[in-house]
Amino acid sequence: MHKTLVVAWREFRHTAMTKAFLIGAIIMPLLMMGLFIIVMPLMMEANTTPLTGTVAIIAPVDVIEEFQSRIESNENPNAQLIDQLPDVVTQDPLASAMLNQPIQNNTNIVLQPSTVENIETLKDDVRDGKVAALIVVPDTLLGKFASDSDEQLEVLIPSSFSPNHTDLLSSAVSKSVVDVRLRRLGHEPSAMHAMVKRPRVAATRLANDGGEKADNEAARRIIPMAFMMLLWIATFTSGNYLLTTTIEEKGNKVMEVLLSAVSPLQLLGGKILGQAGVSLIMLLMYGGAAMAGLVTFALLDLIPVSHLLYLVAYFTMAYFMIASIMAAVGSAVTELRDAQSLIGPIMIILIIPLALWPVLSEHPNGLVATITSFTPPLIPFVMILRITASTEAIAAWQILLSMAIGFIAVLGMIWACARVFRIGVLMQGKPPSFLQLLRWIKQG
Amino acid sequence: MTTAVEIRGVSKSFGETNAVVDLDLNVPTGSLCGFLGPNGAGKSTTIRMLMSIIHADKGSVQVLDTTALKAKDRIGYLPEERGVYRKMKVGGFVEYIGKLKGVRGSILRKRINDWLERVELPGIQNRRCEELSKGMQQKVQFLAAIIHEPELIILDEPFAGLDPVNARVIGKIINELHQQGRTILFSTHVLPQAEQICDRIIMIDQGKKVLDGTVGSIQDQFDPRVIRVEPVDHTCDLSNISGASQIANTSKGKHLLMRLEDNAEATEVLRQIVQSTPVRGIEIVKPTLDEVFIEQVARRRGHEAALQVREEMSHA
Repeated sequence: MHKTLVVAWREFRHTAMTKAFLIGAIIMPLLMMGLFIIVMPLMMEANTTPLTGTVAIIAPVDVIEEFQSRIESNENPNAQLIDQLPDVVTQDPLASAMLNQPIQNNTNIVLQPSTVENIETLKDDVRDGKVAALIVVPDTLLGKFASDSDEQLEVLIPSSFSPNHTDLLSSAVSKSVVDVRLRRLGHEPSAMHAMVKRPRVAATRLANDGGEKADNEAARRIIPMAFMMLLWIATFTSGNYLLTTTIEEKGNKVMEVLLSAVSPLQLLGGKILGQAGVSLIMLLMYGGAAMAGLVTFALLDLIPVSHLLYLVAYFTMAYFMIASIMAAVGSAVTELRDAQSLIGPIMIILIIPLALWPVLSEHPNGLVATITSFTPPLIPFVMILRITASTEAIAAWQILLSMAIGFIAVLGMIWACARVFRIGVLMQGKPPSFLQLLRWIKQG
Repeated sequence: MTTAVEIRGVSKSFGETNAVVDLDLNVPTGSLCGFLGPNGAGKSTTIRMLMSIIHADKGSVQVLDTTALKAKDRIGYLPEERGVYRKMKVGGFVEYIGKLKGVRGSILRKRINDWLERVELPGIQNRRCEELSKGMQQKVQFLAAIIHEPELIILDEPFAGLDPVNARVIGKIINELHQQGRTILFSTHVLPQAEQICDRIIMIDQGKKVLDGTVGSIQDQFDPRVIRVEPVDHTCDLSNISGASQIANTSKGKHLLMRLEDNAEATEVLRQIVQSTPVRGIEIVKPTLDEVFIEQVARRRGHEAALQVREEMSHA
């Protein structure tokens, strides 16, 4: 065991305590997250930079008044967007928190009512920057059958004008036109808007045990995918490291020196254990960042503790499956490009849970989900998806059976891969075919 | 006499190829034993079985009075195909291998410094292996093989790729280790090298042992077929001597080597030479290991095969 630990420590140290790992696996993702955290508020800030200056407007008086009152009000700039978004987004706590931010008055403009005779002079003023913008609302837009007209209102702006401010003016003036139309027909706009607004739907799931639980559609779709991707990234990244370090040891011809000191099984065990540490770091880092995000938005209650415990169990299962496959493939080839032909078919199998994600998250207790839950090596990925996607608890017997089959499969895969490893590490030259690998398992 | 290595009836094949066939051999404790044979003779396969890297199909392998597997930490091994972790520092690499051989880190660090001095590589502990020349890397690999002070040291072609200066440094250390009483099994296909430094020789060909004994006893077993002549007149012509043909000039032309033909009588040929030209000295020389080996191949596989092996060895 001592030798296995010595190998494990070297494997861990020379993977996780290197500049390449620190930069590629830790600093870059943190930098990207940091940039996101810094850039997003800056983008929001840019959104709320006040529009200042004089805006010339050629329009009927009632439109000008409506426009004036609208730009002075504290209307949520996302209100229209929220109306258009489906419930699945607007009812999500995270999306809601972002869309309904505190609203600030985005404008500090002086309206300059004008007449159509001055339009050319005003255009020059816009070009020269004396006037921030020119709005032209033709009378015909307010007629009884205005909706049939092709006529448009115009917003004339200088070439350097902010797109956000363009949207702001366009939105405010077009809404003002609609409100004036309603008023001219004798209706109170706010009452009409309230009337046509779609009511929200509150979906509540009634559990068999008599309990009720508010449904969170977005969380139900996104969180399972996040759990599965976390498992994927953590296990495949370290699996890839295992593949490359094994190939490196063969390529550098250091393998025979190692095998003069340790048995192939001790070497394999040490390498897998060492990379398990690397994988755990990835899991904790990315998982921790996700949890920190949930804590920030007070959404931690979306993830029960039991899900984290299942994550640990299925992570262990997934890691040992992937690691043993990668080590076996690494031992069988002498160059990374030769490994691709052997890894390819394995990857196709392991991509199945990703491809089935929509089906599995929609029907976490369906036939496909149940069958793939007991099919190695898909078990850990499918089960973590099912457990986190299902609104009802997955039957205990299914969880226990999946764990039993999964961990027996892990033992079997380690056994088979160890046999491949034992023969493969001393082989040089042409990479073996799949059939040869099977023969090695038989011989080993 | 105790034995460090005892192999009994060992065979190993890879598919259709029989790498080692029913091999028996003993390496006495404390000997510096040459393990010889041409490329593909089965030397590396035998050594890998001694290191329990691969296992025999049949027969028994005893190393240091126990199984090869249990003796692993008491053996130092420099494989023919050697390598280092390119990104690792020299000190770290040797320490890692030493730890795998069961030595504690604190002991190793001091030992590594001392040994780096001895192999004339002082102060390179913190240099990455990839920064070293090939010769320096080979010395580091040699160091990794002996850093745990093994009782049995197996060196597979230890001088391959080394320049004469570095070869001398390693050769000197091998001698010192031998003087300390360690058993050294030294594999090579360069027979004159083994002849110079080994006190015992084991030769194998096509996976079978063909010779086993001290250098002297092996040479004594074979009928000497080479005559060395030092003529007074170096330009003399000995082509008319029947029963022998000239094969080489040595010592800048001072000596002539003549090979006796198969049925020729040595005394008759000597008489003819002395009669044909005045000589300062004339002797029948002992066969070299090369000649002994080729003789063995000729006996076992015929003259055609022997000529082919001679050709291969002259290019090695």
